[in-house]
Amino acid sequence: MKTITLTLKKFSSIALEFEELIPDTVYNWSKEDFENYQVPIGNTRFPLTNYFDIEVEGDAEGPEDVKMILDGDMSRVKYIGYRMTAGEIIVNGDADLQAGAEMIGGSLKINGNAESYVGREMRGGSIEVMGNVREYCGTSYIGEWRGMSGGVIKVHGNAGKQLADCMSGGEIYIGGSCDILAGIHMTKGYIEIGGDVTRWPGGQMKNGTIVIKGKLSSLLEGFENEGIFVDPDIEGKQLTGKYIKYKGDIGVNGKGSLWLNAEKNRNLL
Amino acid sequence: MAYEEPITDYDHIVENCTCAFCGSNCDDLDFLVKGNHVVGVRHACRLGASKIMEDEDQRLKVPMMRDENGELQEVDWDTALDAAAELIANSVRPLFYGWSETSIECMKKGLKLTEYVGAVIDNQATICHGPTVQAVQNVGYPLMTLGEVKNRADMVVYTGSNPMNAHPRHLARYSVFPRGWFRQRGRFDRTLVTWDPKFSDTAKMSDIWVPFEENGDYGFCNAIRAVLKGKELKEDVISGIPKQDIIDLTESMKNVEFGALFFGLGLTHTLSKQRNIDIAIQLVQDLNAYTKWVLLPMRGHFNVNGFNIYMAYEMGFPYGVDFCRGYPRYMIGETTTVDLLNRKEPDVFLVIAADPGAHFPGGANMHLANIPVIQIDIHWGPSTELADIVLPGTFIGVETAGTSYRMDSVPIHMKSAIDPPETCREDEWIVNELYERVKKIKEEAK
Repeated sequence: MKTITLTLKKFSSIALEFEELIPDTVYNWSKEDFENYQVPIGNTRFPLTNYFDIEVEGDAEGPEDVKMILDGDMSRVKYIGYRMTAGEIIVNGDADLQAGAEMIGGSLKINGNAESYVGREMRGGSIEVMGNVREYCGTSYIGEWRGMSGGVIKVHGNAGKQLADCMSGGEIYIGGSCDILAGIHMTKGYIEIGGDVTRWPGGQMKNGTIVIKGKLSSLLEGFENEGIFVDPDIEGKQLTGKYIKYKGDIGVNGKGSLWLNAEKNRNLL
Repeated sequence: MAYEEPITDYDHIVENCTCAFCGSNCDDLDFLVKGNHVVGVRHACRLGASKIMEDEDQRLKVPMMRDENGELQEVDWDTALDAAAELIANSVRPLFYGWSETSIECMKKGLKLTEYVGAVIDNQATICHGPTVQAVQNVGYPLMTLGEVKNRADMVVYTGSNPMNAHPRHLARYSVFPRGWFRQRGRFDRTLVTWDPKFSDTAKMSDIWVPFEENGDYGFCNAIRAVLKGKELKEDVISGIPKQDIIDLTESMKNVEFGALFFGLGLTHTLSKQRNIDIAIQLVQDLNAYTKWVLLPMRGHFNVNGFNIYMAYEMGFPYGVDFCRGYPRYMIGETTTVDLLNRKEPDVFLVIAADPGAHFPGGANMHLANIPVIQIDIHWGPSTELADIVLPGTFIGVETAGTSYRMDSVPIHMKSAIDPPETCREDEWIVNELYERVKKIKEEAK
């Protein structure tokens, strides 16, 4: 097991790009390799040692034996865990844009808030965010109709707008509330939102499942009521309580299912 | 409005000039020229005419740099260009913003400079029709040329835009009033519909006004799509519009011969942003199962569409293109101007043919006040107050010829009618000169 600890010592207002510092590339790096490494910042590269104290302990045979710990405010460190296939990254602070984007395997834990595009086009692995995430969590690249296709994202706080747009697989759990258009254009996958949702979940969804345990303020016209179910079993996940099931979005002949907690949404009964 | 005497005191007329104001790019203007000044403009709307004729008002004529007291002082071209090149060459996160009111020829030089220094290049789409571009990338672009609307359209819908105020000749020249091949009686052969929460000047002259509630556009379009698919609407009032009105409107939209939907920033900048456009495009796609429908964004500046087309053609991305790693990247929120400024990333800002001082949010402008700003423009404006180096350009379409793209992506050659002031330089020349000087500094440093 190899533990790599990077502790922030100088904050850069211009974002650092960390896509080269993933377990897949650094598993055989020594401390000297890190000290010689130049990190991309804007149109230039600067020594990593300008910004971080580096500690490397132990050895690794492959990326799966690597544990990277990023200590400090990483709110200007982009692409943490970008395209990683194995290993573990722990961020003790906030993370910047694109954390876990295009991730294939391994795990990423953020003990703080994360910016937009967490787990964009994720294919596997797991992301856990202890705080809030901003817009476009688990979405697709602009113009791409296949977003997140595998893996699990767990957010303990709230999620921003357009959660998981064009989602085509995988699972997302949001503990808090969620802003507009969760699961827009979704074709497959599972989204569970613990808190309230402002408007229009599942806009133009073709398939997949959205579960809302809190109150929904505004439902789209494209959803048809299919009745009330008690303690439903949805894709192998046992929910407790009464849920109203909707099918939609009719506008795109969608067969997606939207489950709303009946107790919290009595106005729709 | 007081009666104005026709202008008779002029030397000669330059015919078929193109207006350098809005995205309608009216190319039928006649400039009345006297002593190297445009004293009158025929055929243009008041907005276009006043921009062209009052060109000398607050015109930037000489290069300027801020002195140690923070005052702009006149300098010669070499000093200003060298100082600007020095700033660009030594910057880590340069951002070149603007371009929508200059020519494609100038953008070409700008892209060369951007690629060479590894900067971000962005245009006004980032604060106007950017969401449109994203939606088009997602679900397609059922567009037409404005000539088709003129000759064929029997229903014209404006939503989230007020062309009577913002694109005054749009209705007169392209969409509603002109007589077309299949619409011989002009206005009488067409139904004008406005979907807008406000009773705008366009709504006042429309046959049908649909006042959906603010931020209700997504729900409204979704309801029309549901009706088109044969679904019974369950709510009595949707987005502030009674159910029966939505059903009637959908029926009339199905029964036209050729419908055109024009949308503006009212649609791109309400709550669900690009998803409003996304669903509007899909609504148009659905309507095409019954009859011919098309859609077009009402672009603002005369060449804002040109930048998007040019960048998409050259680099594959329409705006907000980041070259900092040597190859083009495009990510909304990451490589777009306002987000970069809010995150306080850029360390040098070049603004050409744009006015961020007037248009950007306060937080973005606060960062602009803290970093060196180079301005290439023809008029003194709020951005000049933020600028540290001012380079006076020339007026495309009046003093300098160039290419621009109309809102329906038709390229138009804009001719020059008069000579530019002697102390000003063409935008294209300035940007090229910056490139040459930056290159010299970078090569000497090697």
